[in-house]
Amino acid sequence: MLRDYLPVLLQIIVAVGFAASALIVSVLLGKAGRRTPIKDSPYECGMVPIGEAQPRFSVRFYLIAMLFILFDLEIVFMYPWAVVYRDMIHGHPVVFWSMLSFVSMLMIGYVYALRKGVLDWRN
Amino acid sequence: MLPWLILLAPLVSAALIALITGRARRLSASISVVAVLVSFICSCIVFAKSEIAGTEIPWIEFQGILRVPIGFVLDSLSRTMLVLVSGVGALIHIYSPGYMRDDPGKSRYFAALSLFMFSMLGIVLANNFVMMFIFWELVGLCSYLLIGHWFERDSAADAANKAFITNRIGDFGFMLGILMVWAATGSVIFDDIIPQTWRITSNPTFLTICVLLIFCGAVGKSAQFPLHVWLPDAMEGPTPISALIHAATMVAAGVYMLVRVGFLVQASPVALGVIAWIGTVTAVMAALIATQQDDIKRILAYSTLSQLGYMIMAVGLASDEAAMFHLFTHAFFKALLFLGAGSVLVALHHEQNIWKMGGQGRNLFLTFVTFGIGMLALIGCPPFAGFFSKDAILSLAYNRNPAIFGVALFTAFLTAFYMMRLFVVVFFGKPRSPAAKTSRESPTSMLVPLAVLALLSLFGGFHFFASHFLTLPHEREAAAFIPGIALVAMLLGAAGAIILYRRRIEDPLSINLLRHKFYFDELYRVLINATQGFLARVSGFIDRWIIDATIVRGSSGATWSFGALLRLMQVGNLQAYAFIFGLGIIWIIYFVLFR
Amino acid sequence: MISAPYLEVAVLVLGTVILLIESFFSKFDRRYLGYAALVGLALIFLATFFIAPQSTMSSAPFWNFYSADATSLFFKRIALATTAGVIVMMFDFAALVSSGVQGATPQSGLGEFFALPLFTCAGLMWMASAIDFVLIFVSLELVTISFYVLVGFTRRNPASLEAAVKYLVLSAVATGFLVYGITWIFGATGETNLQKIATVLSGTGLEQNAALFGGVLVIIALGFKIAAVPFHIWVADVYQGAPTPVTAYLSVGSKAAGFIVLLRVLDPFLILPQMQTLLVAIAVLTLIYGNLAALPQTNVKRLLAYSSIAHAGYLLVAVVSFSGRAVAFYLVAYLLMTLLSFAVLILVSQPAGDQLESFAGLSQRSPFLAFAMLVAMASLAGVPFTAGFLGKFLVFDAAIATHHFGLVVVAIVTVGAGFYYYFKVVRAIYWDAPPASTDKIIVSPLTRVALIALIAGTFVLGVYPQPIFDALAR
Repeated sequence: MLRDYLPVLLQIIVAVGFAASALIVSVLLGKAGRRTPIKDSPYECGMVPIGEAQPRFSVRFYLIAMLFILFDLEIVFMYPWAVVYRDMIHGHPVVFWSMLSFVSMLMIGYVYALRKGVLDWRN
Repeated sequence: MLPWLILLAPLVSAALIALITGRARRLSASISVVAVLVSFICSCIVFAKSEIAGTEIPWIEFQGILRVPIGFVLDSLSRTMLVLVSGVGALIHIYSPGYMRDDPGKSRYFAALSLFMFSMLGIVLANNFVMMFIFWELVGLCSYLLIGHWFERDSAADAANKAFITNRIGDFGFMLGILMVWAATGSVIFDDIIPQTWRITSNPTFLTICVLLIFCGAVGKSAQFPLHVWLPDAMEGPTPISALIHAATMVAAGVYMLVRVGFLVQASPVALGVIAWIGTVTAVMAALIATQQDDIKRILAYSTLSQLGYMIMAVGLASDEAAMFHLFTHAFFKALLFLGAGSVLVALHHEQNIWKMGGQGRNLFLTFVTFGIGMLALIGCPPFAGFFSKDAILSLAYNRNPAIFGVALFTAFLTAFYMMRLFVVVFFGKPRSPAAKTSRESPTSMLVPLAVLALLSLFGGFHFFASHFLTLPHEREAAAFIPGIALVAMLLGAAGAIILYRRRIEDPLSINLLRHKFYFDELYRVLINATQGFLARVSGFIDRWIIDATIVRGSSGATWSFGALLRLMQVGNLQAYAFIFGLGIIWIIYFVLFR
Repeated sequence: MISAPYLEVAVLVLGTVILLIESFFSKFDRRYLGYAALVGLALIFLATFFIAPQSTMSSAPFWNFYSADATSLFFKRIALATTAGVIVMMFDFAALVSSGVQGATPQSGLGEFFALPLFTCAGLMWMASAIDFVLIFVSLELVTISFYVLVGFTRRNPASLEAAVKYLVLSAVATGFLVYGITWIFGATGETNLQKIATVLSGTGLEQNAALFGGVLVIIALGFKIAAVPFHIWVADVYQGAPTPVTAYLSVGSKAAGFIVLLRVLDPFLILPQMQTLLVAIAVLTLIYGNLAALPQTNVKRLLAYSSIAHAGYLLVAVVSFSGRAVAFYLVAYLLMTLLSFAVLILVSQPAGDQLESFAGLSQRSPFLAFAMLVAMASLAGVPFTAGFLGKFLVFDAAIATHHFGLVVVAIVTVGAGFYYYFKVVRAIYWDAPPASTDKIIVSPLTRVALIALIAGTFVLGVYPQPIFDALAR
């Protein structure tokens, strides 16, 4: 029975092995030479970088992103529902009402977000 | 419904006084009196109507292991006690406002008094050990509160502490006894224990220990040797309290309890012997001490001890009837004596030394007459109540145990001696202090209870009266000469006292051993100091070296180092947490699957 | 007669309505939202007494997920009562919320602060009824996610923020294990319904180790919820950092729900002997750690956090003895005394902070609060005639009945340790001299009523536990 898990084991070996070998090779091959500020800068030639390497985004960006993911995932939930809807709706009205309540909850959430000004970029 | 009313009326009164009417002192007194009258009337109805049965409501029901209901037992015993307790209680409530007239703590006094009535009636009504124990402790608490009523006096506060702590010693034994009964029979309800009694009696040693432990409770509450020391000190409380709690009702609770569990007590001959001798020793010892006391209330307190000794003696001689009969009559005449003493004290501005009284017979005529009746009842002069009940106990002792009979007879002689001494010194001769010369009779509200109690002391012992309340003891082989001998002892004692103390202005006798109450207090003080010193040193050692050094510092040190260990791991905070979390998971998976 | 699922729906609608009112109307006192939530919860609590028995329900597939037996109703009531208590506390905490939340208006954030516990409550109630892993997971997530927000609600306060991050990350790890465990169980048995899993497990020809592995993973996740050692690591920091009402909610609501799910999930798995040993080990560790770690604490909130770990230990003893009755009673007692202590803590710590010193001389500043805290501490320690004592008594009784004597010994020793640190608080209240600023603490009528109810409950259940047993035995 354990034979069934052999591919998994192989996969683990490959994954760990690749990471390990990459690290080892880089240590072996990479010459640790003299370090200077210029050598450590992102670009050895060209413009000297100004400001933080990781700029701060407005929090609204994250809010929008989160809302997008939320609604996106919930749309995904509707696909399996849509597939069985035609077969099940006869005799099972609950199929319709449950999705309606689900969508209305989403709607309430959307209205709340709107009222709280999440989608308002002006201020 | 009526039993509930009996029990709860005083409780409601106590709550009302404590919570609402604390400021209005007169109103508080009225509430308290009305409540106890309600209890008394209901008790009378319950007494008259034998069809009213006991009730119970569930309280704790625990998987069939422990069932404790709030239940009432209503048999002839408890019916009689109900009438007695609420009746004497009512008289003393009526007497109290007069005695406590100018006391600023009057409301507090009446709240505690009502609470006491509630607890005492609870003891009488309880149909199981747990409930009885709770009320038992409540009674102790009320006693503590009331002895310490004038807590600003150090002596009162000390006396209250002494009473409470001494009682605790007895109660601890009582509790152990209850637990033993419960362990053996699986029930704490009297009616359920009775059919299971064989489980206890089948093992005589167990039975003896069990009964003696329960008896411990009675020793504490009824102030028997060697826990008798608190009762004389309890006289620091207001006199009506001395009459109600420390003479008529609470101290009788021990006797009542022994009678209530008579089915157990009577089954153990060894325990009965111990009980009888403890009672006898208490009776004679207290009587001896009483002959040399100068404080009117202390003399009465020692006489209470002595009479309680008689009751316990009767229980030990396997006659619950005789014990209850004496309890019944004693309640009347002892309450009467205390209230009479209270009346004298009020007249003399709380001078308690009998050698500073004298000649009160003329000034306080009514008190004089009623006190005289009480005294005659106490020393067992026919036809007063005490004669019949004491005679019953003496006949009983004569039949069962001649040695005890001898001691009891001697005690009867002493009783007559010291009571007559008290009577002669207080009421005859010339007034020996300015207050005694100008004393005036107490108000009517105090005299009415005296009169009622005097009547009861007069008739309480007769068959036609007492047989309504009690099954009277019948000693079949009682020799006819027993009353005669008792009478002779009584007359000798009384005559001796009259000859010795007539027209004296100070005590011609001085026996240090008796004046100092057999040095019990001193002995206990030495004992307690020694044990305390020893225990203090031992526990000091344990505390310093074992608890502090090993357990506390050890465990807190371990905890601290554990905390420090965690702190070491907390370098990366959240990551470290997740790491420990992961370690835990690995440990658990290993633990369950691979071990 | 009401069908049980409407209870959760009602709570949810209540929360939604409050949220919408908050967002559509701007000019009114946000406290009214709190009062509305309280009234609504009270009505729903009343409604739990008119629930139609499950036997009268149709056999729709819905009832494979959801159970409306006496136990679940009982735990629903616990959830409702806890939530109401927490909302009462929130009134006293309102000032700190406003200072901890950025906003245009003085009361911004308060509406959500009152609404979020309602969603948590709905989740807790679903958890009480869940008999299928799917519903267990979904309701657990509803609870957890709303707690993420609540813990970090006062986001201008760095401690609160830090607590929220810790809780989020560790809780997500735990949730991961829960899902992973459920998949293993599903893989081994082919079922997600607990009853059906039990049937499959008791049958033969099954890869038991796979199911066991799944069960262990689920227990790990639940161990996180109930703060059992070694998954307790988040408790102290999160409890200390979170807004105090939320801490109270975490320590009562989250724990109660965790325990009922634990009881339900363990039901099929206790056939496997390793499970028993594992739980005993966890219980012992939890008892020892919780009590010992609480000893040196000087921060009352942190002390209560460790005390909550310790109480999880006692509850685990009841779980190991498989006495649902003891668990239920202990939880009720725990609810009363924990809410009581946190409610006092909020009032005392408002000006002075959570340190033990701010309790010094409380008996002179507010005798009422001092007494309330005394009752709470006595009950937590297990002084007779309090609910806490009877709870411990029932737990020990159940453990002795199932012959877990070693466990009882450990538990009793740790109770001794408990007396030490609980009475440290009492000592500060009654014996230490109050600080210079001896202002009287003002207790609002609503809080006073709630405190009196909690104190009364502690005493009443300490001497008359029958109502709880009756409610369980319906």
